[in-house]
Amino acid sequence: MEKFISVTLDLAKGFGTTLEIFALTLLFAFPLGLLISFGSMSKFKPLRWLVKTFVWIIRGTPLMLQLIIIYYGPGLIFEWDLLPRFTAVMVAFVINYSCYFSEIYRGGIESISRGQYEAGQVLGMTKPQIFFKVILLQVVKKIVPPMSNEIITLVKDTSLARIIAVYEIIWNAQSYIKLEGLIWPLFYTGAFYLLFSGILTLLFGFIEKKMNYFRG
Amino acid sequence: MKKVLSFALGALMTLAMVGCGGNSSSNSSSASDSKYITDKGTLIVGITDYAPMDFKDDNGNWTGFDAEFAEAVGKKMGVKVEFVEINWDNKFLELNSKSIDCIWNGMTITTEVTENTSCSKAYVKNEQVVVMKSDKLADYTDAESMKGLKFSAESGSAGEAAANDAGFNVTAVTAQSDALMEVASGSADACVIDGTMAKAMTGEGTSYADLAVGITLTSEEYGVGFRKGSDMAEKLNGYIDELKNDGTLQDLAEKYELTLAD
Repeated sequence: MEKFISVTLDLAKGFGTTLEIFALTLLFAFPLGLLISFGSMSKFKPLRWLVKTFVWIIRGTPLMLQLIIIYYGPGLIFEWDLLPRFTAVMVAFVINYSCYFSEIYRGGIESISRGQYEAGQVLGMTKPQIFFKVILLQVVKKIVPPMSNEIITLVKDTSLARIIAVYEIIWNAQSYIKLEGLIWPLFYTGAFYLLFSGILTLLFGFIEKKMNYFRG
Repeated sequence: MKKVLSFALGALMTLAMVGCGGNSSSNSSSASDSKYITDKGTLIVGITDYAPMDFKDDNGNWTGFDAEFAEAVGKKMGVKVEFVEINWDNKFLELNSKSIDCIWNGMTITTEVTENTSCSKAYVKNEQVVVMKSDKLADYTDAESMKGLKFSAESGSAGEAAANDAGFNVTAVTAQSDALMEVASGSADACVIDGTMAKAMTGEGTSYADLAVGITLTSEEYGVGFRKGSDMAEKLNGYIDELKNDGTLQDLAEKYELTLAD
């Protein structure tokens, strides 16, 4: 029993890092993703191609590889000083998730009918006004289901941080296997992930319900 | 495969050289590595949680044979020693990107190590031993008699290599501790792991009380890896001699039940 409590505390500490990665990634990737989606829909062709190529590279390579390149790359290739480990994790996660989010935003924005823009114009609204007051809320409603999917994936992707020795929950659990031959802490981590993604699922259900009055 | 790899490495090195010319906020590779370390005042030691070489005491501080050994060397060099727990698969990346200054963690000197690092001379000897249920030990006294058994060993470890060389039927698992667990659970008849670890983790008073150490397959030696071309390996060899002569290393070896290299 005592062991169970000490393992729980230790894993909870690791899960704190997991949650930190999760929350900070969302905080930065939400706005950055929107910015990238504007780039990928830009009428200015070179910008559009640049952004699309960037998204292709980020979505087309494993996040694990991106972590290794962002952390070790500067020192190996340019002999620069390295980023702190946690910062490198954040850079990799924010860039990676911004690209996925940008495609979700793009899907949402492009699904809004032209009539909505035209209605705004008839009322004499400016372009930014139309986007933020008419379009954005409808987009938000449409992207909640695909976003929640991606966000729940993010919860579990955080476990990749251990590749560059950021000690999150799986790292802590694996050290019990290495040191004491205790394998149950690793399985036990599943409870933490399940609990948290359960809370998220309820939250997204609530948000979807709240948005029901909006029939786009 | 090899061609592709060497091409990729070549491309990377070209990039690295281009990088060197332009900017260099840290030192350039021509300056001596020991000066780089004494200038910044800390020796960053890459380790893993690996008793009895490096492990945390009750207060959460790193201790163990290698940890105390590194502290002693740090004192002689006049630098602080900082331990960083790394992902062992990335040890050479950690070293070359300068996120650590050396790999000092009961590392067996293999050709892989000597090709990727400037390695110190050997300071501790270790053996690859067979571990099995203690009641079966008497029936198996040489490698020949074990050919029919099911073995487990850590993937890529010296133990796996030794078991393969002996012609055993081996299942690779991810860690040495997993190999022990395979034997304890009966999924394997025996495993091949480090002698130091085998002695520390089997027998009375351990989690594997019904396992025991059997015959020795091969012996190996531990060294400290520095960046390729570093002058630190040579320096450390000097410190190893000093610490051997004043008895420090012998005391540590007795404390952690290890055998010093000759």
